[in-house]
Amino acid sequence: MLASRTQAATTSPGVGVGDTPDTHNGVRFSWIPYLWFAPAILVLFLITLYPTFFVGWLSFQKTRYYELTGFVGLANYAEVLSSSAFWNTVFVSLTYVVGSLTGAVVLGMAAALVLNNAGPTGSVLRVFILFPWTLSMSVVGSIWLWLLNPSFGPIPYLMQVIGLEPGLMLGDPGLALPLIIIVTAWWSFPYVMVMATAAMQSIPQELYEAVEIDGGGALVKFRYVTLTHILPTLGSTALTLSIMYLTLMTLIIVMTGGGPLGSTTTLSFEAFRGTVQAVNIGPTAVVSIVVLLINVALGVVYTRLTGRVTG
Amino acid sequence: MSAAMSSGRPSGRFPAILLSFVFAVIVLGPVAWALATSFKTEVEAVAVPPTLWPSTATLENYLKVFRDQSFLRDFWNSVAYSVGAVALALLVGIPAGYAAARFSFKGKRALMLTILATSMVPGVALLVPTFYLLDSIGLLNSGIVVTIILSARIIPQTVWFIANFVEAVPVEIEDSAFMDGANRFQIIWNLILPLIRPGIAAVATIGIVTTWNDYITVAVFAPDVAKRTLQVALVNQVFDAVGISWSYMMAFVVIASMPVILMFGLVQKWFISGLTAGAVKG
Repeated sequence: MLASRTQAATTSPGVGVGDTPDTHNGVRFSWIPYLWFAPAILVLFLITLYPTFFVGWLSFQKTRYYELTGFVGLANYAEVLSSSAFWNTVFVSLTYVVGSLTGAVVLGMAAALVLNNAGPTGSVLRVFILFPWTLSMSVVGSIWLWLLNPSFGPIPYLMQVIGLEPGLMLGDPGLALPLIIIVTAWWSFPYVMVMATAAMQSIPQELYEAVEIDGGGALVKFRYVTLTHILPTLGSTALTLSIMYLTLMTLIIVMTGGGPLGSTTTLSFEAFRGTVQAVNIGPTAVVSIVVLLINVALGVVYTRLTGRVTG
Repeated sequence: MSAAMSSGRPSGRFPAILLSFVFAVIVLGPVAWALATSFKTEVEAVAVPPTLWPSTATLENYLKVFRDQSFLRDFWNSVAYSVGAVALALLVGIPAGYAAARFSFKGKRALMLTILATSMVPGVALLVPTFYLLDSIGLLNSGIVVTIILSARIIPQTVWFIANFVEAVPVEIEDSAFMDGANRFQIIWNLILPLIRPGIAAVATIGIVTTWNDYITVAVFAPDVAKRTLQVALVNQVFDAVGISWSYMMAFVVIASMPVILMFGLVQKWFISGLTAGAVKG
């Protein structure tokens, strides 16, 4: 039994070619370890990897609805990259990601600091504040669609009470994207709060005491102790959220359907619409690949940052 | 702990406590409003000026949701897809995670990098190719296929989490069990799994919430009404803008969120540990 065991790797499962003292009668190749991975790899290959290669192949095909009518080289790329609608979509995506991220990080940091100083009350409230993070995008979208409804919603009503003209709210091409950004920040800042809090609570108390001895105030403590220590966590959290925002579709589907006048059509929403409308899937494949490449780039940065390479 | 940056005296905490409640109101206010709306009559829901608290609280909206013929089917689909997806993820993720932590063999790094790479491929980029492929082999509107697709989204994180949890278990425990004549499967089943139970609970909780909340996968790959979930049924109400009833919709929102709310309430510690696992590095 013991002899047939592959020697356990102790610390990092990632390394492990040369560190195996598997010297009984020389190293024999064994299929066994691969079998343990086989089911997971099989599912991931069929569901994720194969379609990833396939979308690349699709992007070089001439398409009509869902029919392929021949190889066209880079024609789909040329069509997409030269259309102003595509660049508008890129701009909307960028605005959406940067806007939501700014809101979520600022609010999340503020909430983390405030609740961290509120003693037991803060600990209790933190759990409640995290709650909307568990709600689905369809639920969040439905709730805000109701709150922002120009005819009966409470928010337009409150705006009228204080003398503002609510107008069409989500139906206003100038307001739709800012409103969706606000809702996204509302939904996701609790996540930043939880991550920042976890990082803050791992800071050794002595560091704060040291600053106090040197006569530093709250601002110095925040800038040189708190911020310095939570910056790596904040960075990886921001990347996680960027990826999430970039690929988010449901909130937009529910709240605006990409409109009005395309003002909330992000790259991901475009990939979704292209799939369900199926007028011409070649260009949709190109848009999908653009999202894929940005996502992989962000993912690689995230991996470098957190050192999470092999588990 | 919470003393970080605080002045320590309870009186000095007052502004922070006040601001904490402001944050709580910002976050929970909209949710509370939706909840209040769900207990209003259809007429009161759209009254001007809006009432904060229902003047005549009614359960009518909830009853209407439950009485709807498709509700039970939608609910069952939601349960089946999410439980099935998490079960499959654990079934394939536990062996892979265990092997990642305990075995050392040529090509392991490549395997782990492959799994990492799949986690970077966003679902949105696979909508078009997957739809095309499923359509061409006649597998659209299959509940099993939807379950497997949902599962594939959570498999990478399941493998990592399990690998990390198993690594934390001293290998000497296994060695002594081997001496006693136990085989690998007995060791995993009787020794490892009970020890890493909190970890498994954390992955499962996050997995259930993720898959229960999915809209896109089901809406695109199983557009048939009979295959839809509660999330899809909810969004369809939004599209049906003519007959929209806000109080009914808010009752639907509450019911569609109830399982994840309960789960969050019961196991929020696991939920938070699942979120923050590996996030804090020195």
